[in-house]
Amino acid sequence: MQRGGWRMLVILAAVLVAVTIPDSSFAQQKKLVFWTHWEQNPDFNKWYETKGKEFAKKTGYEVELVTIPYQGYEAKYLAAFMAKSGAPDMFMGMANQWCGQYDFCDKMPADLEKVYDENLPKYMIPIGKWKGVRYGIPIEHGNFQQMYINVDMFKKAGLNPDKPPKTMNEWLAAMKKLTIADPKGGEPTQVGFAIRSKGHPVGITDKFLPFAHAWDARLLSPDLDKATGYANSPQMVAALTFFGNLVLKDKVASLAFGNPEDAFGQKRAAVIFRESWFFGWLKKNAPDVNFKVYALPCEKTCPGAGALFPWTDLVYKNSPNKQMAWEFYKFISNAKDDMEHHQSQGILPVWTVNLDTAYVKSRPDYQSTKDMLAQPVPPTYFHPKSNELATAFGEAVVGVLFGKGQPKPLLDDAAARMDRILKD
Amino acid sequence: MRQWFRIAFPKDYSDRQNRAGFLFVLPALLFFGSVFILPLAQSIMYSFYKIAPGGASQFVGLRLYEKVLTDSTFWTAVQNTIQLVLFSVPTTVICALAVALGLNRITNLKWRNVWAAMYFLPFATSLVAAALIWQWIYEPVYGFLNYALSFVGIPPQKWLQSLFQVRPAIAAVSVWVRIGFDTMIFLAALQSIPEQYYEAARIDGANAVQQLRHITLPLLNPQILMVCILELIFNFKIFDQVYATTQGGPASASQTVIMLLYDTAFKFFRFGDASVMAVFVFITLLVVTLLQWRIFRKPVEY
Repeated sequence: MQRGGWRMLVILAAVLVAVTIPDSSFAQQKKLVFWTHWEQNPDFNKWYETKGKEFAKKTGYEVELVTIPYQGYEAKYLAAFMAKSGAPDMFMGMANQWCGQYDFCDKMPADLEKVYDENLPKYMIPIGKWKGVRYGIPIEHGNFQQMYINVDMFKKAGLNPDKPPKTMNEWLAAMKKLTIADPKGGEPTQVGFAIRSKGHPVGITDKFLPFAHAWDARLLSPDLDKATGYANSPQMVAALTFFGNLVLKDKVASLAFGNPEDAFGQKRAAVIFRESWFFGWLKKNAPDVNFKVYALPCEKTCPGAGALFPWTDLVYKNSPNKQMAWEFYKFISNAKDDMEHHQSQGILPVWTVNLDTAYVKSRPDYQSTKDMLAQPVPPTYFHPKSNELATAFGEAVVGVLFGKGQPKPLLDDAAARMDRILKD
Repeated sequence: MRQWFRIAFPKDYSDRQNRAGFLFVLPALLFFGSVFILPLAQSIMYSFYKIAPGGASQFVGLRLYEKVLTDSTFWTAVQNTIQLVLFSVPTTVICALAVALGLNRITNLKWRNVWAAMYFLPFATSLVAAALIWQWIYEPVYGFLNYALSFVGIPPQKWLQSLFQVRPAIAAVSVWVRIGFDTMIFLAALQSIPEQYYEAARIDGANAVQQLRHITLPLLNPQILMVCILELIFNFKIFDQVYATTQGGPASASQTVIMLLYDTAFKFFRFGDASVMAVFVFITLLVVTLLQWRIFRKPVEY
């Protein structure tokens, strides 16, 4: 090859390298990147960006919002955190997972920690903490399922929408009245209960938890180190039998109805158990649904305010902008912004002082939230391997729903699997 | 060593030619090395380590192999994958061959191309998009398939929500996607078979079936073998369609090895366990491919 040709080749290679490897520090200069996978709440997410513009006037740092699709979000987060380049400065996640199972979170500065410890409702204080250390800002009050009922469908079925069922047996009787069977023996045309049966078993476990807790069962031992004897206890078997029968025997729920939120929004299902954010979702996506919200029915005990997903806002430990990220969180950590942020999407605010404001009182879940919080506190499972544990358990739940086996052997198998995960 | 030195510092024309050849091959080598060889080596290495993302790794020898290979979830996924392969591969190959034989008989080049393009179109579609289209077709309440079946009196089926129908349903999507690609290979091969063979056979009194059996199929053997190998690899590694439609459900009935590998690595962050699965897939495919090659490859010449 001629000397000129070599020169050209070297220049071409240099240009290629320059084009394909952008300088990440330049790309992220004066910008805080925030990742969230809460794709069902776009206005809530957008607020970070809006507030970032105000923050930029003080500091020069704007906030760039990146919404990661929920399906498979863990893979994207993990790849970015491990690679250290292209990772967000701030992100939404669970402290037990990202700070407990892995060491990707920055510890919250003491002054901000004090602000949250003093201003959160008592039951939310542990959310965002791992081994007593606060990493995250809890973002969702009412992060527990409540009973949304379709008022018109209740009336049509001869039920009083102002007198919701208080026990699981009363509830089942109501579900039977609300279900309209197909005379040809096919899928019902309307069901009482919108059941979650598709998707990842973690979500299905979460949706089954109120039933488990109502039967006084728990997934793991109080120290979160043992599943056998808990995940397969007689109470759990009874709860799962009841849950499976909703589809298999009582036929008040159908696996063919797809996404339960859509089924409720399309008035094909009369009842759904969902968290406080669902109020905002309904207002936006199904504004013609006339609904009321009540506390969940009880059985041996009441399910109480519990969930598998303690969502928080976190800061990535290796971010070059982590100090500024905390400054941004401090900037938005006040009662006014808490209200504005959550109200933008129709979600309940988290600050105690905001829980009795006109906005919250006007919501249909105001009383039910109070009722749920007045119930006994259910167990929590904020374990570093909560995803994997919930998946193993969820396999038993879907197994029962799809007629793969009986609750007892499936739960025995799940418990043994969960114990192996805990020991590993 | 001396040879490499001469490539780096050529002395004569022949050395310069060698260097040019080496430089031409280098980008492909670098690409193949970085995209295939390096990750493979890394996977093999990871399969002996318990890895904590962002933390320390610990050498555990064959413990992860023992753990994964004694796990019933893993073998269920293997079983599901094999069933998918058994549903998809023979169906795709036979259908593609039949379509290619049909297209080969169309003498009008324009119409042949139109039909060929129609069969090829699904292959050009994104797998996720194809899966989503089929998800709608299979929808138990509002889906097109149940609607169409209702006209012939068949009651609604659950398809992707049935423990027993989900695998054939997903396999049908694979067949639909892959049939065009295989057809093109067969069609090209059919067009390269000299017409004289058929003429001679006809003179000897061979009927159409005999011509197919004794001329077409033997001469298509290399292509059939290649298509079988490609289909086996494609279907064994199936992921997109499953991820987009069922995510392995219902109740793990469509959980394939690659789906399980993905969940293990990126949902549960167990890279060591996932690497064992990757090594298993690699070895299985290598062995089955070599066996196929060895058993079914029959060079035919007339």
